[in-house]
Amino acid sequence: METKIGVFLCNCGGAINNIDFDAAVKEIAKLPNVTCVNLSPNLCLEEGKEKMVSCIKDENIERVVVAACSPEFQEHIFREVLEKAGLNGHLFSMANIREQCSWAHDGDVTVKAGELVKMAINRVRLLQPVEKKELPVNREVLVVGGGFSAINTALQLSRVGLRTTLLEKEAALGIGNEELESFYGFDTSSMISAVEVDKNIEVLTSAQMKEVKGKIGDFSARIRKEGEEIFRKYGAIILATGYQTELALDSELKSGLNIVSQEQLCRMLRNSGLETEPKTIGFMFDFSDENSRFPTLATLNNALAAKKKWGSEVYVFYKSVKVDSEGMEKLYQEARDRGVVFLKCEARPRITADNGRVKIEAKDFFLGENTILACDLLVAEELLLPSEGTETLSSLLNIRKDSRGFYQDENVHLYPIASEKKGIFFIGGCRGDLDLGRVLTDISSVVMNVHELLSSGKILVEIERVKADPQKCVACLTCIRVCPHGAIQLVRTDNSKEVAGISDLACYACGICAAICPAKAIKFQGYRDEEILAQIEAI
Amino acid sequence: MESKNVLVVGSGISGIASALELANAGVSVYLIEKEAVVGGHSASFCCKATDICSKCSACVVLDKIKEAVIHPQIRLLTNSTIRQLSGEPGNFRVEITQQPRYVDEEKCIACGLCTEVCPTDPKAVYPPFAEATPFSYILDEGLCLRFKGEKCGLCLESCPTKAIEFELKSKERELSVDAVIVATGFDVFDARKKGSLGYGRYPNVLTGLDLEQVFTRESYLRLPTNGNEPKNIAFIQCVGSRDEDHEYCSQVCCKYAMKLAGLIKYQNPDTQVTIFYIDLQTTGKGFAQFYEKYKESIRFVRGVPVEILQTVSGELEVRFEDISQGKVCRDTFDLVVLSVGISPRKNSWDLARILGINLADDGFFDKKDSLSCNETNVDGIFLAGTCQGPKDIPDSIAHGIAAASKVIQALAESASQVRSNQERH
Amino acid sequence: MRSMNGHIVAFCCEHSAYPAADLAGKLRLHYPESLRIIRVPCAGRVDVIHILKAFENGAVAVLVLGCEDGACHHITGNTRAKERVKYCNMLLKEIEADGRPVAMFNLSPNEPHKFVRALNEITKRIKESGR
Repeated sequence: METKIGVFLCNCGGAINNIDFDAAVKEIAKLPNVTCVNLSPNLCLEEGKEKMVSCIKDENIERVVVAACSPEFQEHIFREVLEKAGLNGHLFSMANIREQCSWAHDGDVTVKAGELVKMAINRVRLLQPVEKKELPVNREVLVVGGGFSAINTALQLSRVGLRTTLLEKEAALGIGNEELESFYGFDTSSMISAVEVDKNIEVLTSAQMKEVKGKIGDFSARIRKEGEEIFRKYGAIILATGYQTELALDSELKSGLNIVSQEQLCRMLRNSGLETEPKTIGFMFDFSDENSRFPTLATLNNALAAKKKWGSEVYVFYKSVKVDSEGMEKLYQEARDRGVVFLKCEARPRITADNGRVKIEAKDFFLGENTILACDLLVAEELLLPSEGTETLSSLLNIRKDSRGFYQDENVHLYPIASEKKGIFFIGGCRGDLDLGRVLTDISSVVMNVHELLSSGKILVEIERVKADPQKCVACLTCIRVCPHGAIQLVRTDNSKEVAGISDLACYACGICAAICPAKAIKFQGYRDEEILAQIEAI
Repeated sequence: MESKNVLVVGSGISGIASALELANAGVSVYLIEKEAVVGGHSASFCCKATDICSKCSACVVLDKIKEAVIHPQIRLLTNSTIRQLSGEPGNFRVEITQQPRYVDEEKCIACGLCTEVCPTDPKAVYPPFAEATPFSYILDEGLCLRFKGEKCGLCLESCPTKAIEFELKSKERELSVDAVIVATGFDVFDARKKGSLGYGRYPNVLTGLDLEQVFTRESYLRLPTNGNEPKNIAFIQCVGSRDEDHEYCSQVCCKYAMKLAGLIKYQNPDTQVTIFYIDLQTTGKGFAQFYEKYKESIRFVRGVPVEILQTVSGELEVRFEDISQGKVCRDTFDLVVLSVGISPRKNSWDLARILGINLADDGFFDKKDSLSCNETNVDGIFLAGTCQGPKDIPDSIAHGIAAASKVIQALAESASQVRSNQERH
Repeated sequence: MRSMNGHIVAFCCEHSAYPAADLAGKLRLHYPESLRIIRVPCAGRVDVIHILKAFENGAVAVLVLGCEDGACHHITGNTRAKERVKYCNMLLKEIEADGRPVAMFNLSPNEPHKFVRALNEITKRIKESGR
């Protein structure tokens, strides 16, 4: 079929002065299928666009090529022009004759410009229309976890009218909130009460995820709760599974009575009936793990609390205080002002048991001398580690972790709380660290992202932009394994053949599947093999 | 969310993140910016990749700016500031003053003909920096002959789209909005305030921001004095942070210094790099994987120098207390980079007064309470980004998205209140 | 309209190399006119057949440009492209056509200088291979 192609050139008001446009127009007009060639001084402005619309309508143009500036900023404008003229916006190709031609080379670039236009013409001849449609999505949200992050996310989601299930493996919500509660003084039980009376929140405790299938807008979860299997469907999944800590101590010391974790110290401080109040307390942090903020946060808060409550002598052994969170520098100054002694050390202190007390030996950096402290209580250095469920959940959901084993690939483009799969998010401690300011931000930003996706109950998508041809697909599963966004799964066609089905909702249109398919069965509109090769042939 | 309008003040990365989220949720967004170009500070940060991406997020900023500028729901008003705010949440009236740009950004096609014919030196009409958005030319009143009373109209005559207009006066606009997000960003600490460090006196003393711009413009580091490759570079941390006037950590400097050092070492493995620090902030997603590498290739010295002097031969002598040796030492370097911190904007006072929001002790805008992250003391006005306190790029984006979230939540709540009021009657 | 001296085909990822090329133009950084850029959504879309067809069609060199290692918007696209480029080099060597360089470069959208350097590098290799 002979397609009618309209070519529109722009000379940027006469400023693109190293292209002989008259000659170019003549050459382009000779090319097959080119119905009309127009030169405009300002194609992207109202006047130029209106002329384009009239020309397309008058000449019954079926495909459009624009030779002008970069498609990066203008492509969508010209696609709109096509829509206005009654053409599908995808029947369009742009030749970058300004940034990548006129501005990039000295001297006459008419030949190159002509070739760039020819490349675009060759491509546009083969382009197919792509329609848009609104697809329905499930508006329910699954939040895995039951701590501060999970609870507050559910409450905020409820505020925007979204229903949530809180999936907690322990028997109750709020476990693990101890430290945050002590440091910031909020009341977990009132938050839990708010959850309990909220009609938009369902709480499943003693429950674990066993299997997840599907993609954004349509996840199916199999949950096991106290021996029973529960099946649920969700539009989005938020992981708020926190982290766990381990004392960074030699094994023979770990069982010492007077060596505690930060969480244990919090409990001791809350306990009004403590038998003996420790007179001298030692803290250690930032030796084995120099990449976490939480140990500083915990130490500063606990050190101050111990001083205030027990009047103890407090000594802190550390390498660098991590004060890059809101309020930390002030807290550090306050601790120093109140008499907490900070000892900067380059090397990890040596810990030994000493007659019921704990002996800490370290080289003080400023004095340059070895310091020995005998204390009644040592709050040992803690390592932040991925929580138990992290490994399981990441393989159930098939999502990547970072180099420390926490959720969320370090790929910078996935910030702040997204995963590489649409509809799956991570918040709070499970991302690898904790401080209140960032957690609060995580919570609100994930609510925004989920609201954006699910609130209207439908998402506008391009239909079959990338599709596996059921005739050619042999269900080798390569694309399914390779898709970085988990957008492909096996589906049954009408004739019960199993083929790869690419989800229009979850697809990012990267084309990796199209390149890898051994049968060349995947058609990626706009970047099909023939469309790419046609550009090469024009050179 | 149709028919809701929100004003976002400031088009740095945080304002842009807020604007994009709201726009994608169907809200109409007015994004106002006091400069002629959008993007704030982070738009001119350089890529710090070595053989792998160093996660500095500078490229993410450009991506987001592009998205925002072409979004149909975002109305961009550059050269604009707020004059007055009145009304209440759900019904704010904002008066905006838009300074004349003289070059209409909707008409300018960046052809460059005006610059060619401009008779002044430096040119009074010129293109913005290459990554700038909108990429329309800028006319500087201060340099233009016309504004000095002379008769010149060369640029106007040469412009093919008639985008230049001299007769423009500042425009007043009144907007009706349901909520306001303040995302006015930060000021870079003026290193001249620490006079003993020589910034402004010695050409080979640069700030971290200067270094970012050197890499963006030229992509290689050369000494400002003689154009040679620097062989021995020092970074000095905490310039304008963690001191009596700034009781906070700026959060970004240790990481940007290490990443810049990494880039320098990658380009020239023989260059010596020393970082003088107080406490090294080696936290954040994606940092652990680099830290081991940095430990090996960079010399870290604990102790921040207080004086830099230029020697007769043009080298920079840094005097610092070497704790491990217990005495004052002098090391010489070719180039010294001052890792300047994030300061609250000088004009925050004005905006705080206009909007009725509070400033915290440190000069940044204050949050309502410790459990809020964006709310101010005024309902319907929210904070996004570094105007609320120091943040790096990913945190600024997150904070901007969180601000948008709070707006949507507030709008949803007032909508349901209206509904329940209606049901009662 | 075939150019006189052989042309270079560069597959540019729309997230990194394509905007970097635009920026190079805005900064008026000049590079060889013989370059023809083909825009792709991800370097991972580029297949071996595309590279070989480019040579068949007369290219003197082929470049694949994608995001920096660890920064691919689609996680694995740039790695896959690198493997394919390696494979192409091996194939070309086997058929004794390895005078035609094909190379992969990684950059960010705000690195126009790196884009130009990549082109200069490949131009040097073309000269060295004597074409």
